[in-house]
Amino acid sequence: MNTTIPNLIDEVSDLLNIGVSEVFRTMLTLEAKPAAVLHDWHASGETLVAGSVGFIGDVNGVVYVHVTAGFARKLASRMLGLAEAELEGDEMVNDVIGELSNMIVGNVKSRLCDSGAPCVLTIPSIVRGQNFKIEPVHSCERRLLAFRCDADHIMVELLMKHST
Amino acid sequence: MALKILSVDDSRTIRLIVTRAFKAYDCIICEAANGEEGLAAAAREKPDLVILDVTMPVMDGVTMLGKLKDDPDLKAIPVIMLTAESSQENVLQISRLGVRDYLAKPFKEEQLLEKAGRVVPLVKKAA
Repeated sequence: MNTTIPNLIDEVSDLLNIGVSEVFRTMLTLEAKPAAVLHDWHASGETLVAGSVGFIGDVNGVVYVHVTAGFARKLASRMLGLAEAELEGDEMVNDVIGELSNMIVGNVKSRLCDSGAPCVLTIPSIVRGQNFKIEPVHSCERRLLAFRCDADHIMVELLMKHST
Repeated sequence: MALKILSVDDSRTIRLIVTRAFKAYDCIICEAANGEEGLAAAAREKPDLVILDVTMPVMDGVTMLGKLKDDPDLKAIPVIMLTAESSQENVLQISRLGVRDYLAKPFKEEQLLEKAGRVVPLVKKAA
């Protein structure tokens, strides 16, 4: 892929926009609509869950899919066809958020590979906590994408490394 | 006799979705969380069909598929790959290894049933 980072990060952002909508529609029958980025999208002190998956190769980056813990439980319940009370602790919720993140970034990775930028995915991981934020190092470019599912928010954070 | 289907995926979510998809059919679902466990389960259970993820820790799906096809006792077991990585190169690579079909994530349960039904005879459970 012969393009500069600013262009590339815009292309990856576009792919994420498509990927989030497609994954939510197919796996959850939910419409995730692109929305304005709000810095107060969750209550202060509210527990957040972030699924993260990286891509490594000709292009390098990491994507975090942030939701509130309450919305994460709703998503897990819907995806697994279980009542929220049937979800065993946080483990099943974490697994669902990890898998949704994996599908979203897998979609992006496949399209990057097809356009001549081979890369591989990392294993998904989960960050869970209150009042945390991802701070990119200076060699990274960052984009924030926001989505709404009715009253719930999804915040997607993309960090991409500058080529050396 | 019930069909035996082996679901190999490191995600419990996907294994639960696969199990739910076949719930209405006369099938027994076995599970494994990586390629190494999947190979052992395939040797033990002799499934009629394997539904196999690509990216997994310990042993990935492509390596497991290669080992399955190298084993004279297991090579005839049909495999459907279930992958979040559906680039042309990936699809070509798994086709060369003798996979019967593949399904890109995200997927609907009906799509999985349709693909599986083309490979093995799915029979609905009696009401």
